[in-house]
Amino acid sequence: MVRAVRGVLVECDPAIKSIIVNINSENNEYIIEDLDDSHLVVQENKVQQLKFLLDKRLKDTIMEPERDSDSDRDVKD
Amino acid sequence: MSVNTNSLQLSDYLEKLPGTTFKRLYQQPSTAFAIFRRMLPHLAKTIVMAMLYMPTPFLISDLEIWVKPNSKRQKDQALATLRSLHIIQSAGPQSMTLTTNFRNSLRLALEGGGDHHSFGVPSTLPVPADVDLGFLDRYARKKWDDILHYVVNSVEYSDMREKDTGGGGPKASVKELLIAGRLVEKRSVATISITQAGFTFLLQEANSQVWTLLLLWLEAADANVERAGMDSVDMLSFLFLLASLELGRGYSTDALTEPRRNMLPYLVDFGLIYIPPHDHQQYFPTRLATTLTSSESSLRSVSAGFLAASEGGISDAGDKNAIILETNFRVYAYTSSPLQIAVLALFCELKMRFRELVSGKLSRQSIRKAVDMGITSDQIISYLATHAHEQMHRLAAAQKKPLLPPVIVDQIRLWQLDTERMSVCPGFLFKDFESVREYEDMANFAGEIGVLKWRNDRKGMFFTNKVEQIKDFMKNRRKAEQ
Repeated sequence: MVRAVRGVLVECDPAIKSIIVNINSENNEYIIEDLDDSHLVVQENKVQQLKFLLDKRLKDTIMEPERDSDSDRDVKD
Repeated sequence: MSVNTNSLQLSDYLEKLPGTTFKRLYQQPSTAFAIFRRMLPHLAKTIVMAMLYMPTPFLISDLEIWVKPNSKRQKDQALATLRSLHIIQSAGPQSMTLTTNFRNSLRLALEGGGDHHSFGVPSTLPVPADVDLGFLDRYARKKWDDILHYVVNSVEYSDMREKDTGGGGPKASVKELLIAGRLVEKRSVATISITQAGFTFLLQEANSQVWTLLLLWLEAADANVERAGMDSVDMLSFLFLLASLELGRGYSTDALTEPRRNMLPYLVDFGLIYIPPHDHQQYFPTRLATTLTSSESSLRSVSAGFLAASEGGISDAGDKNAIILETNFRVYAYTSSPLQIAVLALFCELKMRFRELVSGKLSRQSIRKAVDMGITSDQIISYLATHAHEQMHRLAAAQKKPLLPPVIVDQIRLWQLDTERMSVCPGFLFKDFESVREYEDMANFAGEIGVLKWRNDRKGMFFTNKVEQIKDFMKNRRKAEQ
């Protein structure tokens, strides 16, 4: 019997996907279906939370480039 | 293609309506005509025109002869649009007709005649001397600018709260609507602040802004029918009627039904119509109303109107071109309009402000901030391009280079990509098919009507963003099998 499951299709690159899978592995509350290397279906009401957690993970792991300095500044301070 | 972003919003709204609502809507020739003119892609219009005077149902096999095989996709999408708007219906397994109400109304609209008052009843009273096109344009612009000012002044930007907000802002009812529609948010008793949706709203073209607000209004009326005492179907068809009226002409309020007369004060608040203070017998549609269903742009783009307004009236196309963008990410804007400065502040780090000039810089942080608020890089780029200073145009033409420095455009896009680690699309996952054939039939059908987002033949699953038509298809398919 065919089933139609409500959810949100998430498309991302494999690296991000593995982070999402990792987040999900803690208590398995986000992912409905793992489709392929770059696609997932997740719970509709959990997307915002997932995005937030993902951003947090990325902030922790990725070095943000230093704010570029303003060499030709208009004002001296 | 006349189908652009604002008709998308409208079509989302329309698609949610049930078939019975369409039956009622299509009783009005003006509505049928407006939907035909505004909502349909060219191919769908051609099909409708072909079928309009056909005495017998149109065979699908005949239609297939008309359409080149490599355009099958467009044909199927056109038919899907027509079906979702309840313009065509199946007349048998292999043929279709226009729905009765739509056919009759569109014929009436094209031929004239009938006693339906669907295109408004012109007033016989004399037109007050001061009401002319210029006056109506100024009036509508003032009203609409008040609303925009209200939205933009909610940005936490203290030196923007200046005296030039002009005339106390929009009416309380409009404010309530903006809050209910989450374009602005009440943070505490006295302060409100703009939301993501509000920013997107600000960057839209005037026509889309009007529709956004009107659809909010319709939804609000739907939500509390008893209190407002208005019927959203009737409201919608009245809006389509307004869109068909002639600018600068007076129409009789007496010919309107009671509920529609009750709508007039709201429409006055939005600036869609003007009613002379001493004479309530006639109303004048403004350009905001008459361009509702056409694709020509109404009053002006967001900031142009403000510049025009702050410079005292008649808009001049040259005014709005104020931004210079340099290859070192610096931005200079020759403007003193609070709105334009506020919009720039959304995606620029503004550093200095002089009389009639602000300067700032695009940076990774500033673009990220904008993207986090829901503004896309394309919106930013197109804003910069439409408001580029004429010197930028001159330079670009002289050196045969693109208007905006490509390095900046690419960088803005890259900065946005940086923040978009994942893209999301709500919808439905179809799985557990009984047979490969069933899977293939349905996945192919979903692809043809343009709702398929992902498929994997090996796993036998696919994902779509809409489900209604697939359900129907599934039912028909099952019936056919039995």
